[in-house]
Amino acid sequence: MSLLRYEDRPVDIRPGETVLEALLRAGIDAPHSCRAGNCQSCMHRAIDGAPPPESQSGLADAQRAMGYFLPCICRPTTPLTILRPDDLNASLEAIVRAIDPLSEDIIRLRVEADGFAYRPGQFIELSAGEDLRRHYSLASHPEEDPFLEMHIRLHQDGRMSRHLAETLQPGDKVHVAGPSGSCFYEGVNVDQPMLLIGAGTGLAPIYGVLRDALHKGHRGPIRLYHGARSRKGLYLSDELRALSDARDNFNYRPCAFDPSAPHGGDVAATALEAERNIADAAIFLCGGENLVKRLKRELFMRGASLKNIRSDVFTLSG
Amino acid sequence: MSNLYERLGGEAAVNAAVELFYRKVLADGRIARFFDGVDMDQQIAKQKSFLTMAFGGPNNYTGADMRNAHKRLVAQGLNDSHVDAVIENLNYTLRDLGVGEKEVKEVAAIANSVRNDVLNK
Ligand SMILES: Cc1cc2nc3c(=O)[nH]c(=O)nc-3n(C[C@H](O)[C@H](O)[C@H](O)COP(=O)(O)OP(=O)(O)OC[C@H]3O[C@@H](n4cnc5c(N)ncnc54)[C@H](O)[C@@H]3O)c2cc1C
Ligand code: HEM
Ligand code: FES
Repeated sequence: MSLLRYEDRPVDIRPGETVLEALLRAGIDAPHSCRAGNCQSCMHRAIDGAPPPESQSGLADAQRAMGYFLPCICRPTTPLTILRPDDLNASLEAIVRAIDPLSEDIIRLRVEADGFAYRPGQFIELSAGEDLRRHYSLASHPEEDPFLEMHIRLHQDGRMSRHLAETLQPGDKVHVAGPSGSCFYEGVNVDQPMLLIGAGTGLAPIYGVLRDALHKGHRGPIRLYHGARSRKGLYLSDELRALSDARDNFNYRPCAFDPSAPHGGDVAATALEAERNIADAAIFLCGGENLVKRLKRELFMRGASLKNIRSDVFTLSG
Repeated sequence: MSNLYERLGGEAAVNAAVELFYRKVLADGRIARFFDGVDMDQQIAKQKSFLTMAFGGPNNYTGADMRNAHKRLVAQGLNDSHVDAVIENLNYTLRDLGVGEKEVKEVAAIANSVRNDVLNK
């Protein structure tokens, strides 16, 4: 039996050979460049078996936890099944449990998917028909909730979001695949300061990460900034306020666009003004591309390590 | 006498230098634009490749690889002045880390040695 499986087929690997060499020899067009474990262009993910630790050197903690590794420096000694980095696990059937409004244009979708393993803050691919697939982040907690929870903005003429809000009923079936993404708590030190910034439904993964941090007894200070176009978009604010009143180490800072507010209520500017000391913080950024890119760059330039910054960009696929 | 890469401290030295170097590059108006548009996490991995190579460490890059990696940039106007700027930032980074002048010069010389490939000359 071969030590290596690529997707669903065995690949011959010789003693001392790297996974990259074996893939190329098998005629698989695996991307690569430096062949020395530095450029990360060859990255793959192990879904079965543990890649040798040295083949994960230089990767972020979150990536290691998900089984990512570098084939060009991986000489496996135990069986390994690997996928290309963006390939998802097989999709599962899920049953819609509830669809409720969270604000004027945001709904909360809860679906039950038996045996779907994930970390709060990761995202899934939700499909509701042949060619209707979109990514949504998970605000639920696998040990606290018997469902997957998503926060979904209703886009004007948005195919999926309108379908979910207008057609779908409790009891209906959908499919979920994944999970993907590295916005999750695992890998954060319990005493590390945490900086969480989400805009719009970017609060969903942030909320998942927050819940997991509290669930795991996080002791360091946690500061959460939520940005919205208007006050009505600051959903979950009652829950977050109550939490921040109840806990010494959690601070909630809602920001809605408002010409009279400091920085016009812009969440990025507000957070950047307040957060001066972020060199050791674990940082989570979720929302639109401009916001995430701007914050990531600014925070990095101010001394945050890229390894400590996890982000998801909510690209619209429409 | 151990080789340059070992004298500098190997992979740990690359790790210590990479974010410092990348910050300097992004703050340098002469060259920052070449690094825009590429995802920062991917970019930092490429910077690690660059530093490993310049430190004389293990890599398998060929001249053709260097030509390919920078072809897109040459089309955007990459020239000798930009290579000079990158090497300058590299020198500052090493000095910040307390690397001796002898090693700083050796690193600069290795980076400089691929100039023609980088510029697709
Ligand atoms: C990693 C990731 C995580 C995500 N997590 C979330 C999440 O937690 N919550 C969330 O709400 N979203 C999330 N998204 C975004 C989500 O995947 C969808 O893109 C979003 O819900 C829009 O899907 P839709 O089918 O409703 O709209 P689409 O039909 O895809 O339309 C998108 C936008 O384009 C406009 N549009 C459509 N057709 C046209 C046209 N012909 N011309 C001009 N404009 C047009 C629509 O009005 C709409 O504003 C995430 C995305 C990614 C990549
Ligand atoms: C001085 C000599 C130089 C060396 C030794 C060098 C080395 C490298 C290496 C090893 C890579 C990674 C290639 C890969 O694995 O894909 C790379 C990529 C890159 N280099 Fe250089 N480089 C040099 C000069 C420059 C200069 C002057 C610039 C721009 C000002 C530059 C900009 C880039 C960019 C943007 C990439 C990423 C390309 C991409 O991913 O598309 N480099 N370089
Ligand atoms: S090819 Fe560069 S890390 Fe594997």
